[in-house]
Amino acid sequence: MALSGMRGLSVFISDVRNCRNKEQERLRVDKELGNIRTRFKNEKGLTPYEKKKYVWKMLYIYMLGYDVDFGHMEAVSLISAPKYPEKQVGYIVTSCLLNENHDFLRLAINAVRNDIIGRNETFQCLALTLVGNIGGREFAESLAPDVQKLLISSSCRPLVRKKAALCLLRLFRKNSDILNVDGWSDRMAQLLDERDLGVLTSSVSLFVALVSNNHEAYWNCLPKCVKVMERLARNQDIPQEYTYYGIPSPWLQVKTMRALQYFPTVEDPTIRRALFEVLQRILMGTDVVKNVNKNNASHAVLFEALALVMHLDSEKEMMSQCVALLGKFIAVREPNIRYLGLENMTRMLMVTDVHEIIKRHQAQIITSLKDPDISIRRRSLDLLYGMCDVSNAKDIVEELLQYLATADFAMREELALKAAILAEKFAPDLSWYVDVILQLIDKAGDFVSDDIWFRVVQFVTNNEDLQPYAALKAREYLDKPAIHETMVKVSAYLLGEYSHLLARRPGCSPKEIFSIIHEKLPTVSTPTIPILLTTYAKILMHSQPADPELQNQIWAVYSKYESCIDAEIQQRAVEYLALSRKGEALVDILAEMPKFPERESSLIKKAEDTEADTAELSAIKLRTQQQTSNALVLTDQRPANGAPQVSQLGMVMVPSTSNVDQNTVDQRVTQSNGTLSAVDPQLPVQDHAPAGDILGDLLSPLAIEGPPSVSPQSELNGVPSYEGIPGANDALALAHVGDQESTVKPIGDIAERFHALCLKDSGVLYEDPYVQIGIKAEWRGHQGRMVLFLGNKNTAPLDSVQAIILSPSHLKSDLSLVPEVIPPRAQVQCPLEVVNLRPSRDVAVLDFSYKFGTYLVNNKLRIPAVLSKFLQPVQVSAEEFFPQWRSLPGPPLKLQEVVRGVTPMSLGEMANLFNSLRLMVCPGLDPNACNLVASSTFYSENTRGMLCLVRVETDPADRTQLRMTVASGDPTLTFELKEFIKEHLVSIPTGGKPPAPVAQQPQPTNPPIASSDPGALLAGLL
Amino acid sequence: MIRAMIVINNQGKPRLSKFYNYTPVDQQHQVIRSIYSVLCLQPENVSNFIEGGSILGPDSRLVYKLFATLYFIFVFDSSENELAMFDLIQVYVETLEKCFSNVCELDIVLNYSKMHTILDEMILGGQVVETNSEKVMQAVEEISKLEKVTAATKFISKSTSLLWG
Repeated sequence: MALSGMRGLSVFISDVRNCRNKEQERLRVDKELGNIRTRFKNEKGLTPYEKKKYVWKMLYIYMLGYDVDFGHMEAVSLISAPKYPEKQVGYIVTSCLLNENHDFLRLAINAVRNDIIGRNETFQCLALTLVGNIGGREFAESLAPDVQKLLISSSCRPLVRKKAALCLLRLFRKNSDILNVDGWSDRMAQLLDERDLGVLTSSVSLFVALVSNNHEAYWNCLPKCVKVMERLARNQDIPQEYTYYGIPSPWLQVKTMRALQYFPTVEDPTIRRALFEVLQRILMGTDVVKNVNKNNASHAVLFEALALVMHLDSEKEMMSQCVALLGKFIAVREPNIRYLGLENMTRMLMVTDVHEIIKRHQAQIITSLKDPDISIRRRSLDLLYGMCDVSNAKDIVEELLQYLATADFAMREELALKAAILAEKFAPDLSWYVDVILQLIDKAGDFVSDDIWFRVVQFVTNNEDLQPYAALKAREYLDKPAIHETMVKVSAYLLGEYSHLLARRPGCSPKEIFSIIHEKLPTVSTPTIPILLTTYAKILMHSQPADPELQNQIWAVYSKYESCIDAEIQQRAVEYLALSRKGEALVDILAEMPKFPERESSLIKKAEDTEADTAELSAIKLRTQQQTSNALVLTDQRPANGAPQVSQLGMVMVPSTSNVDQNTVDQRVTQSNGTLSAVDPQLPVQDHAPAGDILGDLLSPLAIEGPPSVSPQSELNGVPSYEGIPGANDALALAHVGDQESTVKPIGDIAERFHALCLKDSGVLYEDPYVQIGIKAEWRGHQGRMVLFLGNKNTAPLDSVQAIILSPSHLKSDLSLVPEVIPPRAQVQCPLEVVNLRPSRDVAVLDFSYKFGTYLVNNKLRIPAVLSKFLQPVQVSAEEFFPQWRSLPGPPLKLQEVVRGVTPMSLGEMANLFNSLRLMVCPGLDPNACNLVASSTFYSENTRGMLCLVRVETDPADRTQLRMTVASGDPTLTFELKEFIKEHLVSIPTGGKPPAPVAQQPQPTNPPIASSDPGALLAGLL
Repeated sequence: MIRAMIVINNQGKPRLSKFYNYTPVDQQHQVIRSIYSVLCLQPENVSNFIEGGSILGPDSRLVYKLFATLYFIFVFDSSENELAMFDLIQVYVETLEKCFSNVCELDIVLNYSKMHTILDEMILGGQVVETNSEKVMQAVEEISKLEKVTAATKFISKSTSLLWG
């Protein structure tokens, strides 16, 4: 009977395979489903074997993509069958057909539990597999203790225990309370001592989930992981069957190294050394061999080791070794390894300071842009984009332009955008930028958004030197036989404004310009025509008194369009015709466009950041030239968790530091000179200035040579010290408090600056007459790397500088040590690392204070590590959007609100705002043109990547209100994101109340240096 | 974690599919179709990785390997190592090979239950449970013995081999 049952299944499968088309298949499947349904109805006559047969058929039908919405009960009931074959089918089918939310599944809990606590190991395995695959919260609550028992039992076979480990992992994901952290960490450590590699592999998977949730509780397991790595790397006690193509279980190695990446660092020097020995062995010992499978396995381990090395932020030497390896990989024949090589190089750009070493591989990376594999081409584009800077922008952008002509259709848009951004960000000169964008339009006009050509126009308008060049270029492109419509727009605009600057050149008389532009008119679409009409008016204006022939030609055009059906065209034609009859007066009315105010657009935003940077850089260059001393300051990286660490000196703000050492020496000399002339009349007369000066000047060079501990900053790690005796100074200072308040006022509006920084990644956070605080940030997933630039604008040092980050609970932040003294006219860079744990709108605050003279200035500044920084814009298509949208049915995952009091803005402006908030606007998804749909992925340590969808419905009649719907897979995220967007829609900050700088009770200067302080000793000697 | 294991033939017919996160059947089918539409256009000698963002949602990757007429596909997230997943396909196919010797598409179609059994011995709840194909075979044979107590399952003859064909 059993045989016939299986034969029935085979017959059915063969039947389905023989169907010639989908229709036939459907008929056959429907027939079978009908048959099964009837058989199930008369359940009495059904033998267990028949049941088994039918259930398998159902599973097969299900796999073919047909919904099977009956027979679930039968599948579940098979679980409690006494004999193995039926029970097995029951388990397998249940885990395929049902999900954790099914009511039927609840009915099975008891039967499943009986199998788990029973003595039959094969039954235990079946039950554990089911729970591991589809167990839900209720399973977690009722089964966790039993599963734990199996995992740690010494009498169970490894076969059962390894399944118990993963089953427990599933239950832990459903309810993290099932594992008591305190008690469990010791057990976990024991499990990592396991000899059986099957059980160990599963246990490490469980461990990865546990540490990713809370590494603090599992420090005791870290040495065990390193032990596991040592055991594998040395091939000790590894059974033959666990070596895969000669490599001791690559999966276990990979998992273990993954687990180690969840610990922020490895403190214990012995363990660290042991781990690095293993890593070194992996890095050095991996060769490319003939056998593909062996190659893959060894490189799986190698890439994981690279990731771990990057994570541990090891010594520069090891890093360059890694880059060298990656450089080798991106040139090998095996495409998988090329792909991963490029990907890891891109990751490396973000993680560590190896930019320069990576640049050496630029040529090879550019070659990868022509790889036959599109996945590899994409990776190399990402990498080129990431590694581009002022020094190589020209090469890279020109490569991208060249590639654009042959690039796949699918990549062109991204390519064009990236080229435009890089050209703007890193243009060595503006005429080059104009060239790039015009070429871009010429080669890939369809992919050049309006933003891009608007931006060129802005640049040209604002830079007089550029105007004749741009006009000439535009004129040249018009000679080409077929040009893209965007090119017509931009050249018409530029020639309308600036063609008179070319008037002396051949082919550039007003008449010729007009006729060459007018040639294009029949080929352009309606929205372009008004631009051309304006150009004609401008040409007329510039050629006053007009050539009658030209004037007649243009008037003829206007008359023709006077009755145009398109209102915009008609209006322009009528108006220009009337205006141009005014003759000379036209010159005033149609005068040249004034300069544009600095504007932000989605594209420009990113680019402007860097402009600010370059401006900043050049200002600093100037400064260093004028004042060679003191341009160098050090920051000490705070030693990680108190472990002794070689100090990393943050060398600051010496542009083009090719000869840093030389500089340092020079400055040391000038600095000591500066000390001698401490009575410089320029210095405001202050009691403590000279002392501070000496301190600052002496300690800087000292810190270069000495270990970081000698710097007096060590006390800064927390609460400021209030040593010293408040005496006469105090009284003196008090008298000044009033003055102080009126003098130290922030320049610019703090709230506005903060708001601007919410939308871009670099700029000024705070400025007053003495200090400027700039900020620059890079965001990747749930992590951010910011640098605070603390600049002393004065010729006297700033004392008692303190910067403390007050983080809200959802942010983990780590600010490197801030030096106590900022020398005159110097800038200090302080790296600040931020990790986002969960969605929240709360912001971190920088408590910044310094002393200028006797007064303490204190400011609490919001740090722009806001919710949107952890968003990664993502373009979704309609096919992806709508299923997601529908799958999030309503509150609390999808929230809707009517927002009133919205700052009125056009839809375009709103789209820009959304893009600046890293919510990618997806045009065309919503059929209603007044609506706006955007999507993004939110990253936090708790949620990992999570898709967020936003829809805004506006009312063209009333721009102050709109309806907004926000959806995501996490209720908190949905709520916080909705409120966050609302804040940005409702209040473009209007000054607000800038937190007035608090002139605090003046504090005594630093203790006049304890005599044990080596710095003080040195000062004394001098 | 591993999100799904899928086997489809070179005509796009699913031969085995298992999703480790709950996915409604129509969505499963949709995923399989869009994966096929990408895979069937892949030229030879390119990398075996495909970024799955557009098909499978954020943070998903896909690795595939073509054996004779069948694509073996793993979908997973960034917590897994790409090459390790790639190796896992190899282990799965080697195990099939041991089980059926000269395994071919027909074996897989007609011994549908066996495929599930092997998969369950290797992957549990989206995590690798065993990577040693000997051990997997032992477990599968044990199960077969238990099955045979009551039902003798015959493997059906085959045409071309997967590994060698």
